[in-house]
Amino acid sequence: MLIDNRYVPRHQKGFMICHWLNGVSFLMLFLTALPLYADTFLFVYNIFGAKTLQYMHRFFAVIFIATPFIGLCMARDGYSTLLKQAFSFGRDDLIFLLKFPFTLVGIEPSMPKQGFYNGGEKINILLQMFLWLVLVGSGLILWFGNGVIDNSIRAWMIPIHSLAAGIGFAAALAHIYLAVVQNPDSLHGMTDGSITADYASHHHGAWVDELIEKGTVTKKEIDAARRAA
Amino acid sequence: MAIEMAMLHDVARCSACRACMVACKQWHDLPADFSTPFNGQYQSHKDLTPTTWNLIKMNERVDAGGKFHWDFIKFQCMHCSKPACMLGCPEHAISQKDSGAVVIDEDKCVGCGYCRTNCPFNVPRIDPERNKSTKCDLCFDRIEHGMVPSCAKTCTAEAINFGTKAAMTKLAEERLKEVRMNHPNAQLYGVHSNGVGGTHMMYILPEPPEVYGLPVDPKTPDSIDLWRDYVRPIGKIAGVGAVAGLAGVFFLSKIFGKKGA
Ligand code: SF4
Ligand code: SF4
Ligand code: SF4
Repeated sequence: MLIDNRYVPRHQKGFMICHWLNGVSFLMLFLTALPLYADTFLFVYNIFGAKTLQYMHRFFAVIFIATPFIGLCMARDGYSTLLKQAFSFGRDDLIFLLKFPFTLVGIEPSMPKQGFYNGGEKINILLQMFLWLVLVGSGLILWFGNGVIDNSIRAWMIPIHSLAAGIGFAAALAHIYLAVVQNPDSLHGMTDGSITADYASHHHGAWVDELIEKGTVTKKEIDAARRAA
Repeated sequence: MAIEMAMLHDVARCSACRACMVACKQWHDLPADFSTPFNGQYQSHKDLTPTTWNLIKMNERVDAGGKFHWDFIKFQCMHCSKPACMLGCPEHAISQKDSGAVVIDEDKCVGCGYCRTNCPFNVPRIDPERNKSTKCDLCFDRIEHGMVPSCAKTCTAEAINFGTKAAMTKLAEERLKEVRMNHPNAQLYGVHSNGVGGTHMMYILPEPPEVYGLPVDPKTPDSIDLWRDYVRPIGKIAGVGAVAGLAGVFFLSKIFGKKGA
């Protein structure tokens, strides 16, 4: 059944909450440490006070670390789909990735039907998981490692942590651009949990086929909604 | 003071009277520090603290022959020639004076603790209240006026010597020969160039460095070069590049998108 004859249900509530917890905590972690990354941003420390921001960094670190665990309790389905999909990167995902740059400049090549996550989203998920591990690992060693791990090793955590944060921020910019500017319809999936049938068929055709097969939605509904769009 | 100076702790002469600890606190107006509870040990503090920049360590040791030893050493900032703390400080708050003294400028320090993480000797301590990094400053304000550091001035056993690097190096070589008569394993520490470029706090150690909790092979970490020369500049370029790139993509999509429509 479509929602309002228009929307395909996509994300559970807990999953959306975790998405925003992860996104907001990452950005706050990035901002609260920015003055250490670039001298240009020293004014951020001057305005809010270095100590306050350093405590905030730890506060958001706890949220950032806890989010996947909250997700495993609150949004088991969403996270298991995420994991299964990310680790099943196939031929169609590769073709998608190769043709994807054209869509960025407004050209629409014919794409293989994509599943719940497309090839680009899968790469982003894998990258985010990797960065989470690196950031959390290096961060915990910096935070708690004194006296346990020798400084000759801990010193390496400073560039590693910074580098991972920089890559994560670049990925976040691209992610936000794609969601807000390029595909505003996709944003609905993370605010309301559903996306338009038209967008779903266009961007996640293989997933819609699965839904029809499972009987979650019918082909008739989808076609009607697409004609209306 | 344009001449390179150095302090030499002649460990064999040290009687662990701890007058230097008191003298250090006196000159720097550092309050007494009761952070280490007394439970029978002789060492006054477990480790350096934001108000204890100079610590006489008193380590008890039984050697392979079952003989008891009591190892004393004066521990504080080593004033490295290649100071990891300074090279890795994101706020450029640490500088090296001509004398060799490595000094923190509290006005610039933001208390991030990178200096402590990078330091091969794990020396700096962040004062949690003021959120500033603290450590021995080799009494740079005294030596720039021709005085000797407070700790060296007060030492009655002539265990702490202070003078030009050349004079101290010479003294160290001479004393080493004498100390070796009773301590065959005696060696100099920090006098000659090492992984941190040599230090301006130098020692004559009767036993190998590990006995005193000193790293055998201290090294200014290469990770600092990676961080300073690559990660920070690339991060900046990447940040600007990402924004410019996305703006470019946005305009291209407008142009091509219109054509397609
Ligand atoms: S011992 Fe540590 S704090 Fe002192 S100069 Fe060397 S790196 Fe800096
Ligand atoms: S704590 Fe202060 S002196 Fe140490 S690295 Fe950070 S800003 Fe520099
Ligand atoms: S040189 Fe000055 S600051 Fe350093 S331990 Fe001696 S008295 Fe303290």
